[in-house]
Amino acid sequence: MPKASAVSVLIVDDQQSMRGICKYILTQLGFKDIIEAKSGRDALGKLEKSNVDLIISDWNMEDIDGLTLLKVIRKHPRTQAMPFIMATGRSDKEQVKEAISFGVNNYIIKPFDASTMKKRIEAVIGALS
Amino acid sequence: MALPNSLPPEFDRGVVTTVHQGDCHVSDASDLTYSTVLGSCISACVRDRVANVGGMNHFLLAEQSGSAKDRYGASARYGAFAMEQLINKVLSKGTGKKANLEIKVFGGGKINSSLDDVGRKNIEFVRQFLADEGYVAMSEDLGGNYARRVLFKPHSGRAFVKRLDSDAGDNVAREEAAIAKRRIVVPAPVDDIELF
Repeated sequence: MPKASAVSVLIVDDQQSMRGICKYILTQLGFKDIIEAKSGRDALGKLEKSNVDLIISDWNMEDIDGLTLLKVIRKHPRTQAMPFIMATGRSDKEQVKEAISFGVNNYIIKPFDASTMKKRIEAVIGALS
Repeated sequence: MALPNSLPPEFDRGVVTTVHQGDCHVSDASDLTYSTVLGSCISACVRDRVANVGGMNHFLLAEQSGSAKDRYGASARYGAFAMEQLINKVLSKGTGKKANLEIKVFGGGKINSSLDDVGRKNIEFVRQFLADEGYVAMSEDLGGNYARRVLFKPHSGRAFVKRLDSDAGDNVAREEAAIAKRRIVVPAPVDDIELF
């Protein structure tokens, strides 16, 4: 049973407000080690330098979008098994299915709250203590 | 200053689509006009000036808030999502470059004493959002003690605002108060994809 405070989470979103919201909710859930990346490219840099247990990424980003980030991560031996949750809008149903085919572990639909976030994270890494 | 009672002759409405609270519409049609009536609510009009694609949303953060902890509370999350949704739709249909976006914001009126703080909170939210994301509103018509009708042409980016008289404002205030009372403006997350 993973302890939230011991899990390192990488939030990837090019909107500061969305990163803020995500960090706020993760903090509510007991997460302490939260790394922020403001783009897909920034995320790849952070992954090289940090030990990350879980990625929560936005889909729509200007440089490298969430799907491209997922594909790169799944190809790299060090990160290919890394749990990956995609955050998306409700209208992106077909895109979510596409992400499934490229190995996304779960998705979360915006706007989300703490209980939905907890449910999605637990579905990927197991019940939190 | 006397306010215009009708549209200028060069503002051809063409096909009019009404944007209701919670809506988010985007189009590149040159003959389309988005129309909405705002009391305390906010509408943002976002346009990709290169692709001539634009859109309008309409949202109300009904919850009273004021402390730092509310910056990311349920109400603000809903507003941030409404803004993100509109921006992403315009980017997807346009050039995909944020640098090409122009943003206009309207609303946040103080139209009813029982909603006296809501308009201001909505204005504070949208200004904070734009500042956080590095956008500068190219024009705005916010605040005041009146409701307003906003027309926006997504293709050209032209916007027209008409301030409404107090009778119309009272109707808008009643509708917004009813919505705020029902607290339906912050929808519960809906999982409509069951893939796991």
